[in-house]
Amino acid sequence: MKLSLIGAAMLVAVLTGGTAHAQSAGSWSVSIGANNIAPKVKSGDLSAPSLPGTKIDVKGASAGFATFTYMLTDNVALQTFLGGPYKHDIVGAGAIDGVGKIGEVQQVSPTVVAQYRFLDPKSALRPYVGLGVTYAYFFKEQGSGTLTALTNPGGTPTRIDADNAWGLSPQLGVVYAFNDRWYADLSVIKTYIKNTTHLSTGQSIDAKLDPLSVGLTVGYRF
Amino acid sequence: MRDIRSWAPFAAVLLAATLAACGGGGDGDQTPRVAYSKMVSFGDSLSDVGSYRVGAIAQLGGGEYSINGSAGVNWTELLAASAHVTAPCAAQTGLQSTIPSIPAVAVVNHAGCYGYGQGGSRVTNPIGVANAALPAPQLGQLTDPVKNQILRHLATSGGTFAADDLVTVLAGGNDVFVNLAAIQQGLTPTDAVTAMATAGGELGAYVKSMIVANGAKHVVVVNLPDVSQTPFAYSLDLQTQGLINTMVVQFNTQLAAGVAGTPEVLLVDAYTQGRDQNARPASYALTNVTTPACDLTKTALPTSLVCTASTLVATDVTGYEFADTVHPTPFGYSLLARFVAENMIKNGWL
Repeated sequence: MKLSLIGAAMLVAVLTGGTAHAQSAGSWSVSIGANNIAPKVKSGDLSAPSLPGTKIDVKGASAGFATFTYMLTDNVALQTFLGGPYKHDIVGAGAIDGVGKIGEVQQVSPTVVAQYRFLDPKSALRPYVGLGVTYAYFFKEQGSGTLTALTNPGGTPTRIDADNAWGLSPQLGVVYAFNDRWYADLSVIKTYIKNTTHLSTGQSIDAKLDPLSVGLTVGYRF
Repeated sequence: MRDIRSWAPFAAVLLAATLAACGGGGDGDQTPRVAYSKMVSFGDSLSDVGSYRVGAIAQLGGGEYSINGSAGVNWTELLAASAHVTAPCAAQTGLQSTIPSIPAVAVVNHAGCYGYGQGGSRVTNPIGVANAALPAPQLGQLTDPVKNQILRHLATSGGTFAADDLVTVLAGGNDVFVNLAAIQQGLTPTDAVTAMATAGGELGAYVKSMIVANGAKHVVVVNLPDVSQTPFAYSLDLQTQGLINTMVVQFNTQLAAGVAGTPEVLLVDAYTQGRDQNARPASYALTNVTTPACDLTKTALPTSLVCTASTLVATDVTGYEFADTVHPTPFGYSLLARFVAENMIKNGWL
């Protein structure tokens, strides 16, 4: 009986959302969860000397991440998110499709987004749209035997260096408040970003990375 | 901005993001997918790692058919490095020169060396280009044909190939040159083409019946590049160039038919690749695909076998495909090695 009462109370809390304090102007919240980044690569061609049409693809990666949200007004939020590091495999495409992994790169891509949250701050379910700026920082780039064989056979291993880049990040999301303090945040962000990767052989390749990020976090409002 | 303290976490997060992003790159995993024990290569000058690097040739700084230098230059040496096996060395050396100024050097077999390719070698016929059996003067290239090269290897290897041998085969160019020359002595062009088809079929048969049948699991067969797109061919009339192309195509067709359906064989289409390099040189960083990088009036012999950095047409020959009238520069060999490697990687062999 007691248990069912507690259960009913929790259900009520979940369904009715928080009090007047939830997601209102001046509030801070922090959430943590996981994020998947799936690049939708449009690769240029590796510069000469190479098989014409030598392209790359970049595989998706997941990592934990956190968001920090500040409500400027009852409807306008500033959100920063930080996650990673994400470790992406770089694979051959185009003329060298089928060679498999040619390298890997790690990245963190901190993003600051201005959001407009629909509905009343007291609503349990608040969809939002956002527009942000992303800075992608690439590090710990690794080559491979395949990359060396394709670019400098018999020579020193070929290394890679991916340029860091800024991107524009439109966002769609929804916040679900379990109660006054706790909430879940589902976010989908498309980031328009392109960069150049340089090889130690002097070659380079441009690519639009344009990843789609899907993140789910659980947060707490202070 | 309601309160400066409200912004502090943002600043902290951005700072953390900046600090978290550190760390350098690396070589990554350079290990090939297959652990090979050694490379065994059969063929002609394109795979010759120093059969004639003896006597006067060695003194001239020569020994390989390219621009000779300190490092190994031909595609088999580059591929061996990519496959993480010992650099190939010439299985047999010597020179049977009948040129008075170039002394003959005794033929010696080298145990533990598996680079069988010899400049001038044909597929089956032992009398190849510049063989001592031809009317003097000749450089006296040993020109052991591919068939005998394989037999010699079997004779010193217990009649078998190791399952972890990386075997390479590339031949046929000298059959083109000899059959083309025979036309001057009355061979009909049709018979010259037929002879090439026969040679291609024979090479395919040797690969299957002598190499694969004796235990080899990784045999890379590189078909014949288009000899009609070389400085040698460009010095001939268009009709002859067309004939050369037909000879090469017939050779390759029969070679492909001979090794078809053999999973132990990876046939690499260097013919098509070479033509693409000729058609789109800029993509390959080639700046000259028509004339030799070696000044063959400066070299002691009219061949890249004795070409070095001091006998070039210019100080900078970067981007030249050909060292002499038929053989690649080190860069040309590197392009071939890349293409062979790419094929091997796609096949899970490298």
